[in-house]
Amino acid sequence: MIRIIGVHKRLGGRPVLSGVDLDVREGETLAIMGPSGTGKSVLLKHIVGLFDPDAGDILVDGISVPSAGRAEMAAVRTKTAYVFQNSALFDSMSVRGNLLMGLPPGFCRGRAAKCEELVRTALDHVNLEPEVLTLLPAELSGGMQRRVAIARAIIGKRRYVLYDEPTTGLDPVNATRINRLIARVSEDVDATSIVVTHDVESAFFLADRIALLSGGVVAAEGTPRQLRETNNRAVREFLDAAPARGPA
Amino acid sequence: MRAPSLLAAPGRSARAAALHAGRAGMLGIATLRALAYPRLYARATIQHAKFIGLDSLPLVLLMGALSGAVMAQQTMYQLSEGLPREIVAGGVVGGMLTELGPVLTAVVLAGRVGAAIGAELGTMKVTNQVDALLTMGRDPVVELVVPRVVAGTLILIPLVMLANAMGIFSGYVTSVVILGMSTGEYVDGAKGYYHHGALIFSLVKAVAYGFAITFISSHVGLRASGGAAGVGRTATRAVVAIIVSIMVLDTVLGPVYKTLT
Repeated sequence: MIRIIGVHKRLGGRPVLSGVDLDVREGETLAIMGPSGTGKSVLLKHIVGLFDPDAGDILVDGISVPSAGRAEMAAVRTKTAYVFQNSALFDSMSVRGNLLMGLPPGFCRGRAAKCEELVRTALDHVNLEPEVLTLLPAELSGGMQRRVAIARAIIGKRRYVLYDEPTTGLDPVNATRINRLIARVSEDVDATSIVVTHDVESAFFLADRIALLSGGVVAAEGTPRQLRETNNRAVREFLDAAPARGPA
Repeated sequence: MRAPSLLAAPGRSARAAALHAGRAGMLGIATLRALAYPRLYARATIQHAKFIGLDSLPLVLLMGALSGAVMAQQTMYQLSEGLPREIVAGGVVGGMLTELGPVLTAVVLAGRVGAAIGAELGTMKVTNQVDALLTMGRDPVVELVVPRVVAGTLILIPLVMLANAMGIFSGYVTSVVILGMSTGEYVDGAKGYYHHGALIFSLVKAVAYGFAITFISSHVGLRASGGAAGVGRTATRAVVAIIVSIMVLDTVLGPVYKTLT
């Protein structure tokens, strides 16, 4: 379980998070939704220790991320995988190299066949053919890069998969594909997923639960149905302003 | 009211420099610590050694050849009448081993390797690839910095030696073909000057410059920010910082030569 407790963060002197409290339950897919610039990605980065909070705490299976030592942080990172907004594939490595990086360091030493099998399984999960294994990220389309990034995140069978704006920058067809992929992959690998998005349709399609971040705090939280029916002003403003993209 | 504003800029610069030095110090400690695990970086080190060494070799040899030829000509043209012409060979050998070989090789690599490392790591930083490494439980110092620093530090030794040899040889060709010296005069002059201390001094400089080029460019690259423009600034900053460091090291290492002679 992931617990976010009273997290405050200022960046460049501006308050971004002003006391965020949020629990992520085992096995669920939680969407963190909100307008651009409300600190959704910043919050996600706190979970994997890329940011330290100014105040508050983040617990991953009971380990406090901000005060974790080297060994504890390593333990947290063996449980979490992060899919970056821009995919963040290693551009000097082939697709195979990128996927292998998703496995723990040293895992493949003396286990080349096992690793190759894991690579092909991960690729199969994201509907990519083995032919792409030798390609460099620059030789892939944006949608394919995103799929490789997801494959890299799930290859190590991490307990928590964090998606940072997984459909941003993709055309509607590819965005829909990625949404379906995330939904299927979350079930296949039995992972707890957190999806940060400003795309309302993605959030409602993917999530078991949605949290709306607004003004640096969680303004509303509930199932997609509860959020659709709520009269909460922040939710209504956000949902009413959201452009329609077509069915996910 | 002018005094505080006049002091503010140097104050900010001093603080920024101190911060930079502190961060570089921390990266240096992390790099030294990571050296204890060669299994983690050996393979990547070989790849970087190829890029830094083999791929730079033609340019390094060319610079060595040109500097040897220039050294021979300038020594001959500035030689006072009555002095033995063997001094030309001494000038070439001494100049190449103690100064031109290591410094020019380092300057070539500052432009070629330093800029490349700064831009590559800078791009990785601004496109979240460094963060991606961290989230996968991998240490960017072990994965990115150590292989480059080890490769650069080791590979500069043979590169400098080859530049020295090329310079001395081209000095010989220039002396014989253009300046009219005999082979015997050049060889006698070279033998007369040569001592092991100069060669060791050359090796010491090669190691120091190899470390400086790769470490500084890695440090600057990992501090990059601001997208494509930021990466461009990072590459420039890396080259400038390396060249300044080479000259500072050149000055600081000067007394080492005295202890070797």
